[in-house]
Amino acid sequence: MKDSQPYYGALFSGYKPRTGTEHVMKKKAYFKADEAETSLGRFKGLEVRIGTVVDDEWDEPMGPTPMPNPTDLRSWDHKLLSRYQPSYMPYCQVCCLCTFGKCDLSGDKRGACGIDIKAQQARIVLVAANIGCAAHLAHARHLVDHLIEEFGPRTALMQGPGTEIHAPVSRLVTGMRPITLEDASLIVDYCETQLAHTLSATHTGQEGSWLDFESKVLHAGMIDQVGMEIADLVQISTMGFPQADPEAPLVQSGIGMMDTNKAIILTIGHNIVPAASITDYITEKKVGNQVEVGGMCCTAWDITRRDPSAKVIGPISWQLRYIRSGKADVIVVDEQCIRTDVVREAKKVKAPVISTSDKAVMGLPDRSDDSVDSIVDELVSGKIDGAFIHDHHKVGEVATKVALALKPKRRKMKFFPSKKQIQKMAQDCKKCSECIRACPNDQPVMEAVLAAQLGNFEPLRDVYQSCIGCARCESACPNDFDLHSWMVVAAEADCKDETYMVRTGRGAIQDIEIRNVGQPIVFGEIPGVIAHVGCANYPQGGKDVHDMAEEFAKRRYIIVTSGCAAISAGHVRDENGESIYERHSGEFNAGGVLNVGSCVSNPHIAGAAIKIAAIFAKRNLRGNYAEIADYILNRVGAVGISWGAMSQKAASIASGFWRLGVPVIVGPHGSKYRRMLLGKAEEERDWTVYDARTGDRVVVAPGPEHLFYAAETVAEANVMTAKLVIRPNDTNKGRSIKLSHYIDIHETYYGFFPDDVWKYIRRDADIPITLKDKILAQMKENKWKERPIIDPTILKEQVMGGGK
Amino acid sequence: MVMRPVPWQTGEICGPESAKSLTKAAVLKRDLTKAKSPLLIVGSEAVTEKHGKGNMIDYAIALSKAMKMPVIATGGAIKAFLERGFDGAKSMGAMEVAYRLQDPDWLGPSGKGPYDMIMIYGIPYYMQWTLLSAVMNFGTHLTAIALGRYFQPHAKWSFPNMKEKQYHTVLDEILELVGGGK
Repeated sequence: MKDSQPYYGALFSGYKPRTGTEHVMKKKAYFKADEAETSLGRFKGLEVRIGTVVDDEWDEPMGPTPMPNPTDLRSWDHKLLSRYQPSYMPYCQVCCLCTFGKCDLSGDKRGACGIDIKAQQARIVLVAANIGCAAHLAHARHLVDHLIEEFGPRTALMQGPGTEIHAPVSRLVTGMRPITLEDASLIVDYCETQLAHTLSATHTGQEGSWLDFESKVLHAGMIDQVGMEIADLVQISTMGFPQADPEAPLVQSGIGMMDTNKAIILTIGHNIVPAASITDYITEKKVGNQVEVGGMCCTAWDITRRDPSAKVIGPISWQLRYIRSGKADVIVVDEQCIRTDVVREAKKVKAPVISTSDKAVMGLPDRSDDSVDSIVDELVSGKIDGAFIHDHHKVGEVATKVALALKPKRRKMKFFPSKKQIQKMAQDCKKCSECIRACPNDQPVMEAVLAAQLGNFEPLRDVYQSCIGCARCESACPNDFDLHSWMVVAAEADCKDETYMVRTGRGAIQDIEIRNVGQPIVFGEIPGVIAHVGCANYPQGGKDVHDMAEEFAKRRYIIVTSGCAAISAGHVRDENGESIYERHSGEFNAGGVLNVGSCVSNPHIAGAAIKIAAIFAKRNLRGNYAEIADYILNRVGAVGISWGAMSQKAASIASGFWRLGVPVIVGPHGSKYRRMLLGKAEEERDWTVYDARTGDRVVVAPGPEHLFYAAETVAEANVMTAKLVIRPNDTNKGRSIKLSHYIDIHETYYGFFPDDVWKYIRRDADIPITLKDKILAQMKENKWKERPIIDPTILKEQVMGGGK
Repeated sequence: MVMRPVPWQTGEICGPESAKSLTKAAVLKRDLTKAKSPLLIVGSEAVTEKHGKGNMIDYAIALSKAMKMPVIATGGAIKAFLERGFDGAKSMGAMEVAYRLQDPDWLGPSGKGPYDMIMIYGIPYYMQWTLLSAVMNFGTHLTAIALGRYFQPHAKWSFPNMKEKQYHTVLDEILELVGGGK
């Protein structure tokens, strides 16, 4: 061990000498003695307080920004934000956050507090990032506290074999290596403090600059990445999940996979703890032949990571259709992305709801302290619509007993109308178009209803394919038609056919995998790492996610998935009946398609990029954020795609990737995040970097051109993805490969040879050989000049000799 | 009292300012005459939207030719223009266009800017809504005319969720107004 190990409490201001207590980890230790006899003498009224002492045998030198405060990385943020400037598209021209208002901010008006519309937009973006970060962080806090209670604070944390650099995001940001659950708690402490700061900045009369709001957005995103990493690390370590396993089990997925001969427990949300109590109870009581557990949204991934006999029913958008089918005999909700009308909907199909999280009680009576039998009785008899049970140990038993008791009579019930009944009801359609006007995807719902009047259900079936399950059409309908249910009835055969095998979340990427691909990624020979993450607010159905992933997987890019996008990617079968996870390897290698897991598994993707810097380039991670982000921005051709991004969580996840230098593409609904981060390819000043070897200022190709970008169509997303993986550090071979794909994809989807290829040519050797004539002509036309291939950085201090 | 049109998607209400209703071509006469450097922006939905014997790509080509107006095709709509042998269109992303239009000196991909007017349609409703919000709030040098069927409150002029047949008739009238469609 070195002599410069810091106290946790001293990290903000520098180092303190060792005390000899490094192996002992005490969080806010305190003891008091009225009288103590020691070798030094007798003490009366002795009182000792120890802030926090960090156990640390880590000899990596501490970087410049361990546990950064909101302004410690401001300089890095400003570098990013001067190249990728915000383009605001106000969703509202007024501010209604305080009683000064509403304030009209249109034109050049300012609100009563002095804020203008640009800063107000940035403020709202920060609000979203804070909300998203809070959701993950509260999830992490719950897991950490719960697991400490279950297993003790000294429980070891591990990501699995071959992951010596475990928790790379935490290392990078905090300068800590979380070894135990108590370390995890310390890191969450830090994150909670930072979130309080960034949230407070949105209060009236605090931050006033759009630029500093945006910097705090990036800070909240970075903190979110840490919180998520801790959440997944602690559950991987203790809950029996696959540990960095490329061959994580294939599990059953889709509505058609649910066995209705068994009682069915539906779990919805993100937090494994209550769901785990269910599968544990079923296992313990050996009633797996009578009860089926299926999950929706990220609980689906985490429940199958723990118990591969559980099933992934579908993404968040499938909630309503499955609840309404009445197949779930009991519904257990935990937290995040749950339909807030779940109790109302479940009541329609006589299925009780058990809420389990203090964040989403859903108005249900608290039965946590009651006996299992009394809760079961009340739920089975229908005396109560549901119950809030925050004692997770009871949830499994209650849910299982209720499901088993209700199943026989519920299977005799029918909840959807027949086609004949729908046809009859449809006669009353007022043709008001309100259903279409309410539909986020502008689907021709009314025309489909009018077709159903004539007994033609195909149009309703078509609408089902693009439906995101929001049911706004129903809310708008003056006849109160259950239009979403009608779509599900029309698509009954499709629902039954939803049977897929998907690979559950593997967790982290192994160091050995990074070692194998680090060089080809940094040199550009593996053309890119593309991550499909996020929600299911798709413009035209989830198949798009699969198609995008397949397009690049077959081109030997590395495809990583998580969350609802990971489910949708697996919900397409090829002619052999195989899903994308069956066709492709789960290894982090060229052409691999690997699911890291749930939302909180996203930092494994960021972590892979970080580990490339650590393993391949031997850069220090510890508290060294800006250098590593600079490395990733200039060298690691990674792109995140969240085609159905909907939530504030998706916003904060994206923000974390932006600060790390990873561009993110969202689908067209993502434009409603009301701010893009866009570069200007022709502004040479924006693409001027240092050559770390010489300190020379050199203009490089505009790559990655944008940092946050909403694409209108799959075609546009594919073209942009191929372009955004280009990095200044690409070798000749790597650049040539990336350009070959970019040109081919551009010609396929846009129908012409891209006219900006010459910008990406530094030397003749960059030119894809088979396209030489066309590119040379373009270079000549644009008076191209040869440019050096440099060691790129946007940080002056990274120049050899410190840039002096 | 004048009835204000309402946004097509019911939740997409905007702030204090809202577009004027485009119910007949003549209301555009003044703005069209005044415009020295217009730009036509055409999104991906134009490819499948019918108009007359063709579709809204054909209409864009006719309008572009009549007004000697460059076209920016978004979301991959460029392919449809090229398939028709039309070379007056350039490809950009809708979000890139929204960003660049905020710059009064932007020359555009064909170098024919800076623009003083945009005409726009074919981008998904909500995405066009946000693009036009950027223009209304930060591209104040531009007159924005939304030529889609559904009301876009952030434009200066927009069709008021018009019936389909009437809408296509007014589109033809606009084309005639600028000397096209013969």
